[in-house]
Amino acid sequence: MKSKTSEPILFEIAENKDLADNPKVLRVILDPKFTRIDFGYNATGQYIKGGWIRMSPKTYVEVQGLAEKFLLTETTGITIAPKKVVFQSVKDWQFFTLYFQPIPQKDCVINIIEEENPTPDDFNYYGIELKMNEGVGILQNL
Amino acid sequence: MPINKSAYRRYKIIDQLVLNKMKRFPTMTEIIDACWDKLGIDTSPETIQKDMANMRKLPPEGFDAPIYYDHKGRGYAYSDPDYELGGVSLSDTDIETIRESIEFIQTIGGSRISEKFNHAMEKILSTSIEEFSAGNTKQAILQTMNPPKSRGFEHFDLFYKACREKTPVSLVHYSYKKRNFSVLTIHPFMIKEFENKWYVMGFSEKHNQIRTFGLDRVFDPFLLKKKYIPVDKSTCEKEAHDYYGVFPIPNQKKQGVKIHVSALVTNYFEAYPIHESQVIEKEANGSSVISFNLIPTIELTRLFLSHGYHVKVIEPKWLIEFTENLK
Repeated sequence: MKSKTSEPILFEIAENKDLADNPKVLRVILDPKFTRIDFGYNATGQYIKGGWIRMSPKTYVEVQGLAEKFLLTETTGITIAPKKVVFQSVKDWQFFTLYFQPIPQKDCVINIIEEENPTPDDFNYYGIELKMNEGVGILQNL
Repeated sequence: MPINKSAYRRYKIIDQLVLNKMKRFPTMTEIIDACWDKLGIDTSPETIQKDMANMRKLPPEGFDAPIYYDHKGRGYAYSDPDYELGGVSLSDTDIETIRESIEFIQTIGGSRISEKFNHAMEKILSTSIEEFSAGNTKQAILQTMNPPKSRGFEHFDLFYKACREKTPVSLVHYSYKKRNFSVLTIHPFMIKEFENKWYVMGFSEKHNQIRTFGLDRVFDPFLLKKKYIPVDKSTCEKEAHDYYGVFPIPNQKKQGVKIHVSALVTNYFEAYPIHESQVIEKEANGSSVISFNLIPTIELTRLFLSHGYHVKVIEPKWLIEFTENLK
């Protein structure tokens, strides 16, 4: 358990009925150089072959109480629009990670905003609570 | 970066000359001449200088060789008189055994052996070629299943380190059956291979019990700075010996299992016993009753089913039903 640190801190995000669950937010890692958020997505029957996913390049993280936007810098497992990850079936699934500019390593509540005026298809998340005493230090370099 | 075999051969030549008590302090010219004599290659002084610099590097890149130029002796020497490249003298039998092992490791190494092993293997291989080139054969005489690398195998090193250094790991796991992602903290103690699939076993905080996870369903594991929850030795041994396969059927303890097996398939069980507890009682017509004492697993029931009507579960009762339901 960590309070003040400059090493990467990992937070498991507990299942939460108030959070959208597809994609599901899995972990948040606060590193002095970046903020990393892991997601898991299951393709759905909404589209015949599972549809597609992508992230808006304008996606950002905001910390409640701060005016600053922490911008998306990199992705793995998902493409940045207009490119798409296209599924082949309704049973496909995808683990993916978004990297943002680093947010302060202290107790906070964050929102992940893909679209400021979202439709149900956009990946927006509100009220993800990060308590430093619930985070765990990571031993390796990321 | 791997060192090429010619370089290893020159290192050995330099080492032999420096260790020669009859002619101490070999000069650069003598080393170059020796390379020509033994390798048939014209070697430049710059190459030898680079070789010596590489020999001085720490393992695994080099050999930590304390080689220096002795101005008084006007030649090269080791500052540690006990130093020897490789440090071990091998008998012919040792070398032969190593060569067989190398061939075996190369055969299975395609997907099962961690990448980092390759560097060490190259060193051994080069040394053996250097000393026993006459007996070396390029033709493989061993072959095993060597399928393409599977998803998740890249985590092998991390889990190996976590087991060895007793370090908890955070991972994302995807359940194929439940179609669900979950984040888990596990305290791994064993990596297991079964039918060319790799698994990590460890205490799962979320499940509050020991669980097994296929590496193919694990994403982005991280070593955690957290207190490790150890698993007692008897549990580890149980995991190693009491299963056929990987995933135990929930809530089942070690118990007797009996199957009736046709004469045809009895041959296979005789030839390839599946568990150390296996006992075969043959009947006059060649069929048999085979008993085991183990913790029943999903893989065990699948094996039974894979033989179709040739194998029939006769004990315990619950396993008869369980196997039927898997059909």
